[in-house]
Amino acid sequence: MNTMKKMLLVALLVVLMVVPLFAQGSKDTQKSEVSSSKGYPDGTILVWSTGQPQFRKMYYQNWIERHRDIAPGVNVEVETISTMADGQQKLAMYALSGDYNSMPEIIMLDTVGIVELSSAGMLLDLTDYYTPIADQFVDGAASDATVKGRIYGLPDAVRPQLLFYNAALFEKYDVDPSMMATFDGYYEAGKLLKERSKGEVYLSYIDPANYTWRYWGRRGLMPQANAKIWDEQGNIVIGSDPGTKLALHFLDKLNKEGLLYKTRMMQQPLYEATDEGKIATFYIGAFWDEFMRKNIKATAGDWRVMNAPVFKEVGTGGAPVSTSFCFVNTKTNEYADLFKMLWYDFQTDTPTRNAWVGEMEKINGPYSNPVAKNILADPFWQEPSAFYGGQSFRKAEGDGLANASKNMMVTASDAEADTIISAEIEKYVAGEQNIDQAIANMDKELKLKVKKAKLP
Amino acid sequence: MLRNLKKYRIPYLFISPFFVLFLVFQLIPVVWTGYISFTEWNGLGSPTWVGMDNYTLMLQDYMVSDAIWNTVAYWLAGIVGILTFALMIALCLNSDRLKSKKFFKTTTFLPYVCASVAMGLIFGMLFDENAGLINEILVALGGGRIPWLTSSTFSKIPVIILFNWRITPWFTIIILSGLLNISKEYYEAATVDGANVFQQFFYITVPLLRNIMFFCMLTITVDTWKMFNESYILPGPGSSNTSLFQLIYQSAFKTFKLGYASALSVILILILLLISIVQFVIRRRQGEV
Repeated sequence: MNTMKKMLLVALLVVLMVVPLFAQGSKDTQKSEVSSSKGYPDGTILVWSTGQPQFRKMYYQNWIERHRDIAPGVNVEVETISTMADGQQKLAMYALSGDYNSMPEIIMLDTVGIVELSSAGMLLDLTDYYTPIADQFVDGAASDATVKGRIYGLPDAVRPQLLFYNAALFEKYDVDPSMMATFDGYYEAGKLLKERSKGEVYLSYIDPANYTWRYWGRRGLMPQANAKIWDEQGNIVIGSDPGTKLALHFLDKLNKEGLLYKTRMMQQPLYEATDEGKIATFYIGAFWDEFMRKNIKATAGDWRVMNAPVFKEVGTGGAPVSTSFCFVNTKTNEYADLFKMLWYDFQTDTPTRNAWVGEMEKINGPYSNPVAKNILADPFWQEPSAFYGGQSFRKAEGDGLANASKNMMVTASDAEADTIISAEIEKYVAGEQNIDQAIANMDKELKLKVKKAKLP
Repeated sequence: MLRNLKKYRIPYLFISPFFVLFLVFQLIPVVWTGYISFTEWNGLGSPTWVGMDNYTLMLQDYMVSDAIWNTVAYWLAGIVGILTFALMIALCLNSDRLKSKKFFKTTTFLPYVCASVAMGLIFGMLFDENAGLINEILVALGGGRIPWLTSSTFSKIPVIILFNWRITPWFTIIILSGLLNISKEYYEAATVDGANVFQQFFYITVPLLRNIMFFCMLTITVDTWKMFNESYILPGPGSSNTSLFQLIYQSAFKTFKLGYASALSVILILILLLISIVQFVIRRRQGEV
């Protein structure tokens, strides 16, 4: 009898330890247990996003409250992913383990993620939904979410590359900001500022880690110089590409002249140097606005924004960065239609969108220009911004999209290429190789490790 | 075998939870890693068999050799630095002359309970080339600014300092427990025989701490070879201070080359195995194991 008891006890223990390993999550069960007779089943729409999605949640939750008639028991939860690649990685891990219950319904992705995940069948095809309404949005809003002619993401933002500058410094040292319409003028402005401030003022920053490639290179100078990592067939051409030489030699020119303050991007020392008037400009995407408003205090009101400078040889402005909300193929996809409604209202409902933006400005929260033409036409989007001394940042962001450069071709090999190229740029910034050696090494390492880009 | 299993089914049942967990969480993943290392796989879809390609590439990849040498540097600096400081601090904490021992024990342990990522951010500020406190002190003393994190020459130093600073308290406590186990009678007898403090340290303390020190050395070895947070949060140019574990993470989850990352993991396992075997052989020759 005792032996029997012991065996039963041990068997029970083993079962208790093993069962959770193979058990499925309970999310579906919870959802189906309490389903609404009116519309969507009770449960939670989980959204993964980079940045500070808690601010977006304020809009989403309000929207849900206003639509209780169709979604009485539905809530929206947002989770921050550090980078879009981080989200992609987590999603891949969930898919690998077959844990569809833990996946988010919605994920914010850039082109690299969309290319990878759509080819793995992990994103819903939104072509039939978006195509009929595409005319309501700015041209090409969904082009970065289009893979082989199918649309896998609803556009959230299309943000231009801009030039932020400290107008007070330009005035103090009698340098005309309008000369920065071209990169030659940008360089000249930097030299004048340095000379007249006796070396106190730097034109901009340079990051010793991976942000130099990301913000100066991939998103900035490279597309503006029409540079290429790969040709149309996926062959590696960066070593011989004239655009790459134009872009990176310009960066080298600024750096050699000592116009760039070397410090980590998005870290306190950079903000302190900026507030101390050591940094005159930021050539960067419009997203930088939220970092400026949040971290720059002493020079608030001194900053202005203008379109990114252009290379005379190419003539096109900054390339925009698009982000899209993609619908994860969770197998059930029960909230897909509800989130489409939410997304559509966020993008096109002028009064509520404007009210939310007003709230964001009050609490220094992030927001971007809408992609819907009707909202952009509203006078609200021309209003002055205190941080920019009365200049309208919203208008400047819209203006920055004019004459945009085309983004670099994105392939499934770009995440790896970024790591390889960035390492060479970092060694260049550290002074361990010159820019020509850096370009030659990028070419060599890409040919060794990637061989040929995987085209979508 | 089957008869034995049947005869001892109750004991076997009692130990079976360990084997189930070992199988699911350790053995199968290790075997799976070995298999994946011979494939090209991005985590989605099916792996493609590529034979020895990942291992061949590893031999040509300067980032791998950088990562291995960096990790060796972290390991050696860890063994020497952590053991030296931990032993010194433990000796101080064990000293009869020290007052307020509880206070000092608590403050000594504090770095270990601080989050390494948070500390990494603070160290990043301290070692900033233009605005960091370390360089400000150097300049105030008449020296020049050192590009701690912006040059390949210096970028390992902040990582070593952060790692050693964080880990030393843990080993201090372990060594202190060893010191507390050494009977005071040995020291009293040595004092009567005329041995000075240094002689007592080298002829009593060190030999009696040998087992503890060996355990610490093994643990530091494993800790340094799987170092991630410190080098990740304090990046230097390129792969100048990347640890092997960090490179595995980057290959797997930043560039989605799970086959290559698995091949690197296999190499890491082999290195750790080799180091452990060498340490055990040395100990066995010394007659300690």
